[in-house]
Amino acid sequence: MPAPQSDLLQGTLDLLILKALAPLELHGMGVSRRIAQITDGTFEVKAGSLFPALHRMEQAGWLKSFWGESETNRRAKFYSLTKAGKKQLHTESERWERISLAMATALRTT
Amino acid sequence: MISRLRALWNNVFRRKQLDRDLNEELEAYVELVSAEKVRAGISPEEARRDARRQAGGIDQIVQNVREVRTGIWLDRLVQDVRYGVRTIAKNPAFSLVAIATLALGIGANTAMFSLLDQVVLRLLPVRHPEQLVIVRETGNHYGNSYGPNTISWPMFEDLRDYNQAFSGMFCRFPTSVTIGYSDHAVQIPAELVSSAYFQTLGVSAVLGRTIGQDDDSVPDGKPVVVLSYSFWRSYFNSDQNIVGRTISLNGNAMTVIGVAQPNFDGVELGSPAKVFVPIMMKTEMTPHSDGLKDRRRRLSWVTAYGRLKTGITTEQAQLSLQPLLHSILEMEVLQPEFTRSATAADGQLFLRNQVELLPGSDNGLREQMRRPLWLLLALTGAVLLLACANLANLLLARAAAREREFAVRLAIGAGRVRIVRQLLVESLLLSAAGTVVGLALAFLADRVLLRIYLPANAAAEFAISPIPDGRVLAFVVGAMLVTSMVFGLVPAVRGSRTEITLSLKDRSGTLSTSGISLKRMLVGVQVSLSLLLLVGAGLFVRTLRNLENLGPGFPTGHLLTFTTTPTLSGYSYAETKSYYDRLSLALKTMPGVASVGLSTMPVLRGFAWQNAILGKDFEGTPIEQQPVLSQVDPDYFETLGIPVLAGRAFTARDVAPADYAIVNETFAREYFPGRNPIGQRFGLVDDMRPVTPNTEVIGVIPDKKYRDLRETPPPQAYFSSLEVSNIRGMTVYVRTQGDPHQFEDALLNRMRQFDPHVPVVDLQTVNEQIGFSLRTERLVASLSAVFGGLATLLAVIGLYGVMAYVVQRRTREIGIRIALGAARSNVIAMVMREVFLLIGTGLAAGFLLALALADLIRSQLYGLNARDPFTFIGAAIVLALAAGSAGFIPALRASTVDPTTALREE
Repeated sequence: MPAPQSDLLQGTLDLLILKALAPLELHGMGVSRRIAQITDGTFEVKAGSLFPALHRMEQAGWLKSFWGESETNRRAKFYSLTKAGKKQLHTESERWERISLAMATALRTT
Repeated sequence: MISRLRALWNNVFRRKQLDRDLNEELEAYVELVSAEKVRAGISPEEARRDARRQAGGIDQIVQNVREVRTGIWLDRLVQDVRYGVRTIAKNPAFSLVAIATLALGIGANTAMFSLLDQVVLRLLPVRHPEQLVIVRETGNHYGNSYGPNTISWPMFEDLRDYNQAFSGMFCRFPTSVTIGYSDHAVQIPAELVSSAYFQTLGVSAVLGRTIGQDDDSVPDGKPVVVLSYSFWRSYFNSDQNIVGRTISLNGNAMTVIGVAQPNFDGVELGSPAKVFVPIMMKTEMTPHSDGLKDRRRRLSWVTAYGRLKTGITTEQAQLSLQPLLHSILEMEVLQPEFTRSATAADGQLFLRNQVELLPGSDNGLREQMRRPLWLLLALTGAVLLLACANLANLLLARAAAREREFAVRLAIGAGRVRIVRQLLVESLLLSAAGTVVGLALAFLADRVLLRIYLPANAAAEFAISPIPDGRVLAFVVGAMLVTSMVFGLVPAVRGSRTEITLSLKDRSGTLSTSGISLKRMLVGVQVSLSLLLLVGAGLFVRTLRNLENLGPGFPTGHLLTFTTTPTLSGYSYAETKSYYDRLSLALKTMPGVASVGLSTMPVLRGFAWQNAILGKDFEGTPIEQQPVLSQVDPDYFETLGIPVLAGRAFTARDVAPADYAIVNETFAREYFPGRNPIGQRFGLVDDMRPVTPNTEVIGVIPDKKYRDLRETPPPQAYFSSLEVSNIRGMTVYVRTQGDPHQFEDALLNRMRQFDPHVPVVDLQTVNEQIGFSLRTERLVASLSAVFGGLATLLAVIGLYGVMAYVVQRRTREIGIRIALGAARSNVIAMVMREVFLLIGTGLAAGFLLALALADLIRSQLYGLNARDPFTFIGAAIVLALAAGSAGFIPALRASTVDPTTALREE
């Protein structure tokens, strides 16, 4: 199944989530905080966008989840990348780099 | 892909678990956020409140997450269905009315379609039935004919041997044979078949073998028989050792060589063959009548079938056969048999005859039932349409009542599409429930219809079943989907257009005025459709009355009739003659019998013996005006109650070589105009030899019906059966002193005593026989009357509903009028004006529709015009009265509006 063409914003969010989960497993808030951290606080993902995205990506087979224990000793749902997710991260990153390069070039042109 | 499927599986079947997990996940999230805030130094309660606020409404998130789940549409559908079922259950009265209406509509359609499917549409149960064609010759045959689809045996041989169009060709001849048991005999339908019959049809044997080339090469050569599967089961108890045994057919020992495959009862629906015999055994199966061995070309009796070669269309086959037929006709037209029975002008016409190929599954019953069944299906279709209009109106009213519900749903964020879908799902649910009930109704209705329609003894064996097959089910599901769309879509779209603010405010009665005009239109449609159905019902009922009142031209009250054919039990002509002499005497001496008459032709059974005649002043007769003939015994006219107007009746002394005839008035008028018919002479044209007019007219009888009730009495001539020596069988008429029905058992007993080896066939009263001959008309008349009544009822309910709604909506206005001094009668008049406007528009549309469609039913009517003004006006008056009184109730209610209450209500 080809990767669905996502609009820019959703694509950005997906890419950020994939990136955030690339090195380690995180629960929902962990993903949100990690994104804030790796974007220097530029993106603050609200729960209202975060959870639908996580569930959608899980159903698409990019993420897998398991129940673990949070820092507050509470049962929490953790997410990690699947093989398909890693591949998606790779293709999405390349695409994004192409786009951002093109955008940067376009904006520099006077 | 797999993860998607697993997700779908989970979403559908583990919804609860998923929702619980989601809740827990979000709870954990809130807790983590608040914990973070506490660490930043905020009090725990405040932190928790903050976290919740930041999460932005847990419910909203849950909703959003659900939306992205795979298979959400299925989820929603399940929701819609659940909600729909709840809504339906919440309004039991409405739902019952809706389901009952639909069940009647869909049930009637299914019953009719099921009959149409089996009688008219279904093909023969043979290999590639669509390749099979009946080969017939158009135009007049000039000679003796067994029916419009028959050709002569030599013609069949020529076509079979020289055609280029067929991969196989066979012919058949249906007849009755007597099967003898040790102590009695039974007459059964048989099919005489040419050698290629089974092979060309692709019908095999379940036991033994079918008839092949060797069985059918020499006349009288092979006395063999193949049994039909159902006959083998019922009469031989599925005897596994039947092959090789002999059975007695017409007194001939015939060896059973096989049993045909199940469900195959010959090629003619409605007269299932029980035994199949090689056509070379014709002389044994139809004693004393040939056509096979004497190779007469002027006797057409076999029905020829061909299987089209692969890739050849019917048109191509027809074109390729035409030159062949023409060369055969050119040869025939020169033969003395032809020139004896036809004039030179006839010969020119004869050469213009064409080959015509009919679908191989066609037959008489199909031909006869096609129009009535399509007509009835159209009527039921109109009833269903009307039911849909009615339901649409009900749903519109309900949609108005549910505006607040829709407004609330819209306000909390449901899309309009969602509401349309919800309402459509509800319609579909109603429709499905109606369909299930309707199917049950259709099953019952078909059983009743079959019993009415078929003669009692045939019903048990007839190949029509009331159980619906795949095609019928497809029809039903289609009908269900279409109806739910028709009656559900408009109200659904309208419902989704609800104005949130208006509906949620305490509104005044100005809402949905556009809805009223739509409702009015729907009622108009209902009125016009029911006028159409009422007019149809009126026309068909009056047709039946006309036919019933026609009468055959003689008193039928105390007449019993049956037929025997002694030659089928091995009797010679001389034995047959003495059989009838003795039979007549035996029956006359039975107590309760007034008189007994015999005739070689049964009356009013659709059969006719026609022959061209010649006389001193006329030679031959155009084929359409050939007189119908019969041979009767001296007591025949007296038994049937037909007086002799001039001359005398036959007596016992009128035996050969006397050559007398009694004719009817039309015969006398046509052939002996202006002369005394008594003493005139004529002769029957015979294609085998030249004829001189020797038959002397000795009496004249009044005109009476011969073939059926619909005909104008044709010219008729009767000969004394005592004068002829070649009688094969006769129809017996017994005039009883008491109720003829009560007499049947005694008569059967007497006949068994008299001769157990000659079976009694078609024993019934003449009134029953006449009733049966009108069964199609009765079926159409009674069903159309039922549908007309149903339609009127629906229309009346519909009109009542709309007017009640209108009055309710205008309560305030009416209150003001009354407060300002309008009289109650003025209010009634105001409402009734609207009622009659509605009815009038509907009637006008219905009139136009009925006038336009009248031509379609012309052929089904008798004795009245398809635009019969009496029926049209009568139907309109009935409908106007019924609908008018339904409208009067809301009018009356409007007039009793109390102005103070009405004004305070707002």
